[in-house]
Formats: sequence, structure tokens, C-alpha cells
Amino acid sequence: MSKRVLVLLVVLLVAAMALAACGGSQATPAPSGGEEQSTSGTTEEQASTEEACKVVFGAAVSLTGKYAKEGEYVKNGYELYVEEINKQDGIPVGDKKCMVELKIYDDESNADRSAQLVEKLITEDHVTFLLGPYGSGNTFATTAIAEKYKVPMVEANGAATKIFNRGFKYSFAVLSPAPNYLRGIIDMALDKDPNLKTVAIVIENGAFALEVAQGAKDYAEEKGLEVVYFDKYAKAAKDVSSLITAMKSKNPDIVLGAGHLQDTILVMKQSKDLGLSPKVFGFSVGPTSPEFRKALGKDADYVVGAAQWTPELKYKSDDIFGTPQHFTELYKAKYGEIPPYQAAESAAALIAYQKAIEAAGSLDKDKVRDALAALDYDSFYGKLKFNEQGMNVYKPMAVMQNYTDGGLYTVWPKEAAVKEFLYPFKPWDER
Amino acid sequence: MESLQFTQGIVNAILLSGTLALVAIGFSIVWGILNIINLAHGAFLMVGAYITYWLFTLYGIDPFLSLPISMAIMFVVGYLVQRYLINMVIRAPLLVTFLLTFALEIVIINLATFFWKGDLRSVTPDYAGLGFSLGNVQVPYVRLAAFFISLILTGLLHVFMTYTKTGNAIRATGMDIDAARLQGVRIPQTYALTYALGTALAAGAGTLISISFPIDPTMGGAYTLRAFVICVLGGLGSIPGVMMGSVVFAFIEVFSGIWFPSLKDAIALLVLVLVLIVRPSGIAGKAFYH
Repeated sequence: MSKRVLVLLVVLLVAAMALAACGGSQATPAPSGGEEQSTSGTTEEQASTEEACKVVFGAAVSLTGKYAKEGEYVKNGYELYVEEINKQDGIPVGDKKCMVELKIYDDESNADRSAQLVEKLITEDHVTFLLGPYGSGNTFATTAIAEKYKVPMVEANGAATKIFNRGFKYSFAVLSPAPNYLRGIIDMALDKDPNLKTVAIVIENGAFALEVAQGAKDYAEEKGLEVVYFDKYAKAAKDVSSLITAMKSKNPDIVLGAGHLQDTILVMKQSKDLGLSPKVFGFSVGPTSPEFRKALGKDADYVVGAAQWTPELKYKSDDIFGTPQHFTELYKAKYGEIPPYQAAESAAALIAYQKAIEAAGSLDKDKVRDALAALDYDSFYGKLKFNEQGMNVYKPMAVMQNYTDGGLYTVWPKEAAVKEFLYPFKPWDER
Repeated sequence: MESLQFTQGIVNAILLSGTLALVAIGFSIVWGILNIINLAHGAFLMVGAYITYWLFTLYGIDPFLSLPISMAIMFVVGYLVQRYLINMVIRAPLLVTFLLTFALEIVIINLATFFWKGDLRSVTPDYAGLGFSLGNVQVPYVRLAAFFISLILTGLLHVFMTYTKTGNAIRATGMDIDAARLQGVRIPQTYALTYALGTALAAGAGTLISISFPIDPTMGGAYTLRAFVICVLGGLGSIPGVMMGSVVFAFIEVFSGIWFPSLKDAIALLVLVLVLIVRPSGIAGKAFYH
């Protein structure tokens, strides 16, 4: 085969792979007349409020693909709220009550697809308000669409600050921002053993994880720890053994992972394969979901994870859930497992809407936006209050640990802890 | 402790090279004999991995025991695909078969995504993650077993191609199709058999990969690309060439992963480009299979 043909084939092959990788994700079309459709949608909505009042929340959530499991928790959280509020005949708007409906599409864990679907929710389905997707990447894409059509979006699962650095007026996040995620774990570890010296950080190459990692690195250095490893793996990585090997050679006291559930499971599996046993294993996302225990079994023991919320926190509220414990009971009755924080924060996004709608006394998109901006409410999930950028910087993060008895308990902050932090991580070869 | 990184890297690379060789050999015989760059190779690998996953999840069949099952199923599939699809355009220019297999890949991946969803899945037998240590270096049992099985399958293929009449017919077809026909080799059957062998090897590799790594419908593309690079590195000439290409590629991949994790794929492809410029026939290659 001649050299020229081979080179041509290589170019074709690489192009083909690139095409296949983006399969199904077409560029977001900007429908002509989209603005008009949206306006007519609003009038329709207002007209229908006068007959049978209903408020429709729309969201594109990952039900398949990389974030399928997290997306399922988000959907569960949204649905649980809707079920509960409709038992009370819906949300009070002025002097009447409006039943709540949900419209959810599957974005296949793909940001372009997510943006496309949100556009469809606005222009074709004419939803009243928007809820967020799962993950910072998808949230980054969809908030831009919400802003374009001036429809409020309260999101609960996009923690990257870069979502909020664009001066948007219609995006709000109920969860604590990404750079704060791993700080609780660092505090807790140093509180337990002030002699810890070194940290290794592995990072998923994505918006959220990069901010988590940078936040953790800055904080660790501030606390006098030495960061001996700090490197990224590709977003769709299926093999991180090279990074594990490199980390192991640095013999770190603490290993922190910035990423999502699937990567966290992968890092743990390959750490066992390669015998990486630091004194503390902590992750931004993963160890707090029931799926983590299911995938790893006994190997999940000792691993700690950052949590936006835990069932054991001691918040009290007059919202429909009241306390984290009551939310947990309701969730368990419906889905048969302890609620992961993704479900709680997703339900909290709807609480934020409800309180804003009640304050505005209307379903008007701009009035509700203003009410959201002014919101200051203590929910079962913690404080719901947004800074000028739309971020909730007022709520602390907690830490949960997978215990050797198979349970998952809050171990930090101390005042909410139900069990003591198990330390150190038991090395693989001693198990 | 840097030396640990180095020795563990060497062990990882050797173990990886076994699996990669198995992936690349199936790709190589199809390319060498049929002159088809089989872009659907990775998709067949993915289906093999899913067969193992479902047999394990639904019926509790040990993933290593499912190896012959997934290979047999995909052997039949490969035979039919070649005989009744690719054979229709086998005389067409290389680009046509190239596009046909590309289309086939997309169809298979989309069907898999439709029926099995895009979730990452793992085959998790009780012994997953167990291993032994040589000093500080960890050797996982599963990967070691996958390595030896790959070597055995490769060896069997070599014996088949060298010492059996059918194997010789396949090689003869690759060397000189007209002479082979004159000797009484039935070309369509030989082609279908070769393609079926390639597909079965892909499925076998998929089975072994599914035991160590999470799988999803799009997993195959990365392996097709690696198989391509390995074939170019090793040349299309021989099974030893492919083995050598696999070892070289595995070392490049593992060590670029240790030193520059975020540039891992870029470095691997850069090597491909360099080889094409400096030595387009590969490190040890010739233009046909023998």
C-alpha cells in the first residue's frame, strides 16, 4: 500500500472516530422565530392559569450515559416533591392553588443534547419554569438557553462557579459551589491526625472536577499540606491505572478524587488492583450514593465522600418536608433506599421555586425571578439564599463515610456527626 | 519511590500488550487477507464484552467460561456479515469497504445504545481486584489470566494459519488471490472464514476486557484505533509483527499515561504519524499476510 493512501486512511479514520464520538450530538439549532413562540407560550400559560391553574416544570436530565445513576436521583428528587405538593393541591399562587406537573427528557449525559432539549421545553412544550440537568457541563450549556429565552432555571446539580461567572440573571443554584467540595474532608482528616503531610489529587477533565480539584489544592496548601500529585484523566476514561501507579510511587497520606460516581468507582477498583492504600480516600462525588456500595461491596469500607446534604443533618423547616429525617422517610418509602444528596438538592430546587412563587403571588417569569433573587429561606436542605451571581454560598458541606458495618454515616461536621470518622483506611493487603 | 512507578509501569504495559495483541490480530488478518480496514472491529469487540456481561449478570456464568460462547456467537455473526454484506462490495475500491464497515459500526453502536442504554457496566466476579505482589509491584490475577489467554489464542491462530490446510488457504489467498483460485481455494468461503475469525478474536478480546474494565456501547472505537496503530507499527506482515507492535504501543500508552496523563491519546497518535512518515511499511512489515 502506498504511503499516500495510508496517510489518507489515517486522516479518514481519525475523522471517523471523532464523528462517531459526537454521534447524536448535533449543534444546537437556533430556531427562527423561537422568541415569538416563547412569548406566545407565555400568554397561553397565563390564559390557562385562569381556568385550571397548573405550573409545569421542565428539565433535561441524564437518564442514560455516564451520569445515568446521578440523573436518576435527580429525577427521583423532583418527582418526590411533585407528589407531595400535589397531595396538598399544589403550590399557593395568590389566593388559589396550582397543581404541579413535571416534564422530563433524557439528555443522554450529553451537554449539547441537554441544551437542545431545554430549548424544546421552552419553545415547544411551553413549560412555566425550568429545573436543572445533572452535572456542571450540562448545566453550563442549559443555563445559556434559559438566559436567552429569559426563563428562570433553578438548578441543583451544577456546582462549577464558571456557570455563574457570565453575568446571567435567570440562573440560580441551590447547592454549594465546586471549590468547597473537598474542604470538609481535608479539615476532618487534619482534625483526626495533624501529622498528615501529603495529598495526591486525581481529576476528571471536566468543568466541575477541575474547580473541585483547584479548590482542594488551594485549601490543602493553605493548611500546610504538600500536594505531591495533581493530574487529570480524560472525561470518558475507562482505565486510570497509569495515574494510580504514579500516585502510588508518591506514597501520599491522603488521596482525593475530583470527579463523578463512575470515575470514583473506577479509581477505587484500580487502586485495589494496584495496591494503593493511603490513610484517607476521599472523593467529591460517589461514596455518598447507594450505587457506590453496590458496585464495590466491602471495598467501599472506609471511603469518605463530600455531601451537599445528609439524612442526619439537624435542619428544621416549615417546608413540606420539614426535616432531613422526614424527607428520608418519604424517599425511602417511595424508592426503597436512603436518599443520596442529589435527590435532596433536586427537591430543594422546587422548594426554592415554591417559596419564590408564594412571595411573588404570581407565575410571571420575571416576578418569580426577582423573588428568587431575594429569597432567604431555611429549608429541610439548609439555607436557600443566592448571592448576586445566583450561587448558594451560604450552606456548608458535610462528609459521609462508608462504614465497616455496611452503613453510610455523617462523620463531619462534628455537630452533625452520628459516628466517629474511621481512621486510617485499612490497607488492601490487610483485609 | 520513582523506581516503583517504573517497574509497576512495565508490568502494566506487559499485561496490556497481551490484550492489545488479541484485538490487533483479528484486525490485522482481515486487513491483510481481505484488504478491508474493518472499522466495525471495535463494535464486534463491544458486543463480545456485552455477551459476557449478560451471561454473567443474568445467568451467573463466570466471565472466563463465557469466552468460547462469545467467540462462537460472533464467529457466526462475522461469517454472515462478510458472506451476505461485505462480499457484495469486496471488489470495490478500498474506500467503499472502509465506508461500509464504518456504517456497520454506527449501526451496531446505536442498536446497542438503544437496547442496553448508554450506562457504564462492570462484570464483577468475586475474584475481581485480587492479585499478588512481587515486592512492591501488584499483579492482578484477572489481568494476568487475560494476558495468558491472549497469548494462547494468538498461538493457536499462528498454528492454525501455519499448519492446517484451511490456514494455508487463507494465507495463500492473501498472497496471490489468482494463484490461490487456480489451486482450488474457494475464495468467497475463505474470505468469510477469515472475517469470521477476525470477528471472533475481537469478541474474545471484548470478553477479556470486560473483566478488567467498565464497558459501554461506545467502548469499541478506542480499540479500533489502537488496532490500526498497532498494525501500522507492526506492519501487516506477520503475527510476530503484530505482537511486537502491541508491546511497543502498550509501553508508549502506559508511560505517556504515567508522565503526561492528559496527553495520553495525543502521544499515541503522534507515534502513528511519525511511523507513517519515517517507515510506512511498519517496523517489520510487508504488504501481505504470510
